[in-house]
Amino acid sequence: MSDVVILGVGIHPFGRFDKSAEEIGADAAQQALDDAGVKWSDIDSAYLSRMYLPATSGARILRRLGGTDIPIVDVEAACASGGAALRQALLAIRSGESEMVLVLGCEKMPRGFMDPSMIYAPWQVQMGMSLNPSYWSMRARRHMYDHGTTEEQIALVAHKNHRNSVSNPNAMYRKEFTLEQIMNSPLVCDPIRLLEICAPNDGAAAVVVTTAERARKIGGRPVRIAACVHSIARYSADFRCPADSMSATIDNPGPTEVTAKKAYERAGMGPGDIDCFEVQDTDAFCEIEIYEDIGLCPRGEGGRFAAEGHTQITGLHPVNMSGGLISKGEPVGASHLGQVVEVVAQLRGTAGPRQVADAKTGMAHVLGAGGNCAVTILERVQVHA
Amino acid sequence: MSTATDRPLTPIRKGLISEPIDSPEAFRLLGSKCGACGELSIGTNAVCLNCGGSDLSSVRLSPEGILWTFTIVRHAPPGDYRGPKPFVPFGLGLIELPDGVRIMAPLDGDIETFRIGARMRLNLNVLDADSPAPLAAFSFSMIG
Ligand SMILES: [Zn+2]
Repeated sequence: MSDVVILGVGIHPFGRFDKSAEEIGADAAQQALDDAGVKWSDIDSAYLSRMYLPATSGARILRRLGGTDIPIVDVEAACASGGAALRQALLAIRSGESEMVLVLGCEKMPRGFMDPSMIYAPWQVQMGMSLNPSYWSMRARRHMYDHGTTEEQIALVAHKNHRNSVSNPNAMYRKEFTLEQIMNSPLVCDPIRLLEICAPNDGAAAVVVTTAERARKIGGRPVRIAACVHSIARYSADFRCPADSMSATIDNPGPTEVTAKKAYERAGMGPGDIDCFEVQDTDAFCEIEIYEDIGLCPRGEGGRFAAEGHTQITGLHPVNMSGGLISKGEPVGASHLGQVVEVVAQLRGTAGPRQVADAKTGMAHVLGAGGNCAVTILERVQVHA
Repeated sequence: MSTATDRPLTPIRKGLISEPIDSPEAFRLLGSKCGACGELSIGTNAVCLNCGGSDLSSVRLSPEGILWTFTIVRHAPPGDYRGPKPFVPFGLGLIELPDGVRIMAPLDGDIETFRIGARMRLNLNVLDADSPAPLAAFSFSMIG
């Protein structure tokens, strides 16, 4: 099977803007085309990753780049939408049907908690079980009970991510907080606090995907897609689903563990072979559990692992060099492609103060409603002189 | 918890609450037990969420269990939330029943007192008690 590569990337900063989805989406898409050194008319098919934008948003946004008759498909898989859309591009190219595909992630979201009617049944909303952070918090509380994870360890993850974001021009907050400020910020759902969760916002990110052969002809700085896997939670494997009940007898592995395992197999790599990670820090505790799920540390030791600094940019396994969703915000449809943009920058060596020394491989991971999870593993393409 | 109403109650979810729904003493939740794999889900379901089997039988779930995890909801949930107005922070937890299932439910009682492992009991919780069509919902509270 021939290699598929990302040839160009583009990103509109994540934040809140007095601009339409069409404006920010078209901006990211044009940047990706320019970075790839191709024209809109070179694209054979396009996908839009989005959750909250209305029907046919892909066509509405990309029409701004010029008239076209190529297929433009909107893709949705909750927080994993970007991974699902990137996977579609991979499939389109591997099938031979397309040779040059644009994948755009774009979102423009209302402030505050997300509209619960999109993912919860009416009775769950009426009974007050529709606040997303409450599910994350219950998971955190149980981890603390089972493994002795502490509130300070959780806060340290938020501290790392906020600090990393200071040098990321595409992040929303870009502000370093002290550990005390984080641990004294208001509780949202115990034990998770305001400075430890991500906020929905606006943003767009795009990639141009093509074959390794075509990229070689064009030139530029391609990055190989070593794996792009999307899966949903197995039976009773993740109570952010949102589930109304969970099995007390069956303990299936969670969606991150399952998806990462598939991605490692496809890439022919293990956690020790990956130089940098961008993961779904919906809340700071979530990142701790992901360390365990993707195999960076044994089960139950994620809190200690964070506190020991292993996931700092200068650590053995840097995680969320970009600042993560906690500081960037989460424009749902754009979040995974935003992670991919960061990993590509790391592999190209253009991440500036956030650069992980000599990063050759990187992972992007998202996880959300319905237990939707996507993992993309990217690898620097060896340039033969 | 609220149970005071003289109007007929509507179950908050069809197939979830056993008859009679307006008796706090006899109040029980219904579950569906799979004849093939033995898994239990809450409510009256046609298909097993684990194995896809359709040999399901309706069971009355135990009204007592153990608190498996919890949080405190400190902001009014978004959307059509029917709890007290103005909003009052409340507990939300997973209660493990001896039947082999954990149920997500609001928790009654002092938000400072919840702890994992506490014994819990099911309550009838009437929402919209003053409306023409009050809803029969459920909650759990600590025993003792
Ligand atoms: Zn079954």
